[in-house]
Amino acid sequence: MFKDKSKNAMPSSSSNETIIAQGVRVEGDFQSQGDVVIDGEVVGSVVTQSSLHVGESAKIHADVKAANAVIAGEIIGNVVVGEMLELLSTSHVQGDITTERISVAAGARINGQIRMESKQKGSSVQAKDEDTK
Amino acid sequence: MYCYLYDEYIQENKRFERELLKIENRLTDLGIAGKVSRLALFRNAEEMIRDEIDHGVSTIVVVGNDETVRKVIDVVADNDVVLGIIPIGPGNELARMMGVPEGVEACEVLSARRVEKIDVGTVNGRRFITGVTMPNFRAEITCEDKFRVTSVARQAALEIRNLTDLTDPRDGQFEAVISAAVKTGWGIFGKTQIKESILPLSSMAIRSELPISLFVDGEEMKSTRFDIGIEPLLLKVITGKTRVF
Repeated sequence: MFKDKSKNAMPSSSSNETIIAQGVRVEGDFQSQGDVVIDGEVVGSVVTQSSLHVGESAKIHADVKAANAVIAGEIIGNVVVGEMLELLSTSHVQGDITTERISVAAGARINGQIRMESKQKGSSVQAKDEDTK
Repeated sequence: MYCYLYDEYIQENKRFERELLKIENRLTDLGIAGKVSRLALFRNAEEMIRDEIDHGVSTIVVVGNDETVRKVIDVVADNDVVLGIIPIGPGNELARMMGVPEGVEACEVLSARRVEKIDVGTVNGRRFITGVTMPNFRAEITCEDKFRVTSVARQAALEIRNLTDLTDPRDGQFEAVISAAVKTGWGIFGKTQIKESILPLSSMAIRSELPISLFVDGEEMKSTRFDIGIEPLLLKVITGKTRVF
């Protein structure tokens, strides 16, 4: 009787998600409006307005910019995240990190500066050459 | 005004005679009967349709299969007329995805006239609706003039999807899907897995030093260079309730 009509609507097949899987190499300025999942190789730069997920097998030699990011693989380059950055235990970041919030799992490796920037307040806290290994 | 375009194989094959008669009767009952044009070996489909459009036809209904649609897609898209399908015989994937049932039942869909605008892809200027496949992908792709994509796997296939069960042909983009065979694990314990990369794009270029083959809506094209693009919401099609998008 009180069915949620939105549940019956046909699901949209276009999620606008980009997947760069293993076995594929991307070179250049990669830009996306939607979510991005990287398990392959990227050289250049990565920019997304949405979420970025870097898998364990990913090798990124690029500056990375995203709204949110979960990293399990390797990034050689600077990482700028608008909101939340999650570094999983297998992650390795060689470069400076700028984010509003961060979560670092035991075993994650960071070689670079971490700069905490709040969007609203503009305040920043800086930690130098942190290595949580 | 409707124009019904009968493909050659339907006229030649006796087993479709009864079905055609049923269709013609049903179209008359529904009040949407129109002029019948018949495709033949030495008759140019595009010229025939252009003549009909000049005489006031606003809807072209293809009575045939995917191949028949391929013959008319350019002229239909260029002249801003509506395309309908009455699928008969094998090779009717496009009609299925548009939610049009086979044979006489398609007449009800035509009568309901649910018109949708869909994107049309182009390869070197040649239009396609469903997609493009490259079974042996050994080339370099330049996407939207910004970044290059190559396969580092030993074996890979490329597929470009516009209208499929998984994609929306109204989003102004196509999906480039690279399926790469990647070996995981070590030595004899290693397994080969297919990993799919998916890139939503509006333009891309494929370059190769040697000529390579592409299958555009199932038809082969050979070249060293392919420029692929999308024309957003160009084609008006009559669709049924069971369409996939």
